[in-house]
Amino acid sequence: MDEAKNEKKEEIVERTAAPLGEAAEEELDLEDLDLSVETVEERISPSETNVFDK
Amino acid sequence: MIQRSSFPISLAFVPQGHWTQPHLAIPCLKAWLEARGFDDVEQMDLSVEAFDHFLTPRSLERARDRVHARMGLARFESATLPLSEMRAWRAASESAASADALIAGVEDAKRVLRGTDGGGARGAEDAGFWDPDRYVPAVRTLYHGLRLVSAAHYPSELTPHNFTMGYANDRSEEVRAATEDEEQNPFIAFYREEVLPRLVERRPKLLGLSVLYGSQLVPAMTLGRLVKEALPDCHVTMGGGFLAYIGDKVMDAQILADCFDSIIFHEGESPLEALAEALRSGEEDLAGVGSLAWWDRRPDFAASNGGPRAVRNTPAHPIKLDDAPAPSFDGLPLEKYFSPALVVPYDVNRGCYYGECTFCTLPTVIGPGYRTRSADTIARHVVELRDRYASTHFNFITDCMPPGMIQDLPERLIERDAGITWWADARIEPKAYSEEGAKRLYESGCRKLLFGFESAVKRILKMMMKGQSLKSVVEVARNCTEADISVTFYAMVGFPTETREEARETLRFIEEHSDIVREVSLQTFHIDEVAKTYKEPEQFGIEVLPAPGDLALYHDYEAERGMTQEEAAEMFEEMMQAFREKLPLFSGDNIFYFMQKSHYFLHLANGETPDSFAARCAERTRARAARGAEDDLEVRPGLVAVPLAFSYSDAVRTLGDPLARAARPDFLTGRFVADAERVAEERLPPLERKERVLLYDPGQAEFVELRDGGRRVLEALLRAGGLGAFLDAQRARGASEESLHRVRGFAAELHRLGVLHRAADELTPAARVETPNRPGAERGGSTVRS
Repeated sequence: MDEAKNEKKEEIVERTAAPLGEAAEEELDLEDLDLSVETVEERISPSETNVFDK
Repeated sequence: MIQRSSFPISLAFVPQGHWTQPHLAIPCLKAWLEARGFDDVEQMDLSVEAFDHFLTPRSLERARDRVHARMGLARFESATLPLSEMRAWRAASESAASADALIAGVEDAKRVLRGTDGGGARGAEDAGFWDPDRYVPAVRTLYHGLRLVSAAHYPSELTPHNFTMGYANDRSEEVRAATEDEEQNPFIAFYREEVLPRLVERRPKLLGLSVLYGSQLVPAMTLGRLVKEALPDCHVTMGGGFLAYIGDKVMDAQILADCFDSIIFHEGESPLEALAEALRSGEEDLAGVGSLAWWDRRPDFAASNGGPRAVRNTPAHPIKLDDAPAPSFDGLPLEKYFSPALVVPYDVNRGCYYGECTFCTLPTVIGPGYRTRSADTIARHVVELRDRYASTHFNFITDCMPPGMIQDLPERLIERDAGITWWADARIEPKAYSEEGAKRLYESGCRKLLFGFESAVKRILKMMMKGQSLKSVVEVARNCTEADISVTFYAMVGFPTETREEARETLRFIEEHSDIVREVSLQTFHIDEVAKTYKEPEQFGIEVLPAPGDLALYHDYEAERGMTQEEAAEMFEEMMQAFREKLPLFSGDNIFYFMQKSHYFLHLANGETPDSFAARCAERTRARAARGAEDDLEVRPGLVAVPLAFSYSDAVRTLGDPLARAARPDFLTGRFVADAERVAEERLPPLERKERVLLYDPGQAEFVELRDGGRRVLEALLRAGGLGAFLDAQRARGASEESLHRVRGFAAELHRLGVLHRAADELTPAARVETPNRPGAERGGSTVRS
């Protein structure tokens, strides 16, 4: 997605939660879609490895 | 027995402690007082009550509304997101995506952990606790619920493992201020609504608060202050491990004097009895109560500034442990612990028979000397407790059992046909944990032992004066493993002068022995004011730096050689990462079994072996990684999406950095490390704006970050009914094979994460592993999801 599109989008984004399945049906052009998925494994902190003492 | 006139006493374990089983201190005190004739002793576990209270739909609704009012996502629309705002933004994002689902799912999640969800057609056998596909999402739901509660009291953080605020625990002014901060302190409202009305009605003459950990200091002072306001005639005393460390300093802090009346040092039984007796007799001069420090509020004895004067009495004699009664758990809310079976804690001894380790400050916490109950007494008490509380699971509270006890106790338990399972801490004793000895321990019910391993480097072990060889370590761990007793190692990183290479040597040793080491409780080294490393720093090649707080216990230090504290924190990360790759119990979300005290043990107690459980964990991780883009994939119901202005995963990664972590209060004492916030702010760059979508999946209780394109494909997949139908429709519309291939890759990734699923996933191989002795199982059975 180029910067111009990005900026335009930022202006109209409303940051509220919506259940999936409620959006209006739309025609998809798969060629242009960014389908990246990002996850991150939460790091374990020392407080969480202390479970036997605590 | 001497009968005393009615003298109501209340004892409370204050938040925060672990939530799977009762803590032992107050049950020991209750039993002692009752045996000495005090017939009106109430005990409360306010920690588990608080968890239960916060994790209700009503509390989570309040938290959601409060987060929305205090820090809605609309507040974070700047060009960049600095570290100072990152935690708040993350909390706001998670709250927006997950709050409603958490409110809807929290009660069911609690039922799963408590084994009261009813399971499927076969009741307890099918209870979700035993099914990882139901257990893990339930645990996650509760963790996320606490994150929502924490967000409502930002910057406070309440987890099953810790409680910290924006205030430092090592400064009395901050501790006192924290007790009155309604924005940050979630316990003020909890006490007012749930605890004070009960206490006001009961009107105890003496309230004892148990403070074992730094995380309990502010909650204890908060309750003490509220009780002193509501019931001025009630004497509030505090005691426990953490106050044994800093109690003297607390008594120098007159600003805290309106939160409590006295502190009991070390072992509580005898001093608490003497205090109760003195108060019952109307005594105002408490100088005769051993091991007590107290505020003398009599006008004639005021301090020079007119305030109460701190008085420190001489130590009491320790009790003869073998004469002490078995702990009493009567009156505790046993049904509220997050565990399907009660694991009964029981103190077999106090102190350490070895007592040489240079890092250990145990005598400061428990008091000097080593005392034990006899094996006969222990076995008799165990049977009594088993019958009284209808539980066959025990956690023997000991720092280590001497070789004689390791031999005698199994014999006595077997003789009495105790029929229990148990776990305990232990010291490497090759003669006691011989092949035969380990088998006998297993026969007596031992299913897990936790050994103080610490390091695989001889030089470090010598400095620690551990008195154990690596050969013995391997021999003992192997004997236990071969007897089907699971072995956990306590390990330490950052002992003074330890180098990175030496820490990696310890890591390699554990990796090479991952067939006999199932769990590692890894800790970074800390210096406290009673440790040998503090008193004789030159012996360890370190310079201890001053700690400015008036309640400071822990100190930073500079080492002549070896890792700095910052490098030790980095090495902790490196080692944990390696454990997550090499130890099946630490892989993926199996780590929740390790993080929930006693839960892995309960699987061992119910028929799993260390090998079968490890295989089950490894298979679960493998099966998840092997998921693909099958045509019958469907979108899991209930997904919620929130558009974000920054990358959620970048924020989580940044906040998990050791530098960012150091900017938060230390988990042991709640202190803020000097300059850590500034250093982290300087070295961790702010996040640049990136439009993202945060997805919350209530089925897995997981957050997943997508681009808006991914969200749109998920919407279309939902309408199409499945992946195959979606791809067919797109192909018919002329989509390229390359784009369809990308969709398959996207779908496979979401399948691995659980956002997409197929009916076949509901019966994973992991869930079908047989565990023959599950409660309610008449014979070997399989887990069938309801």
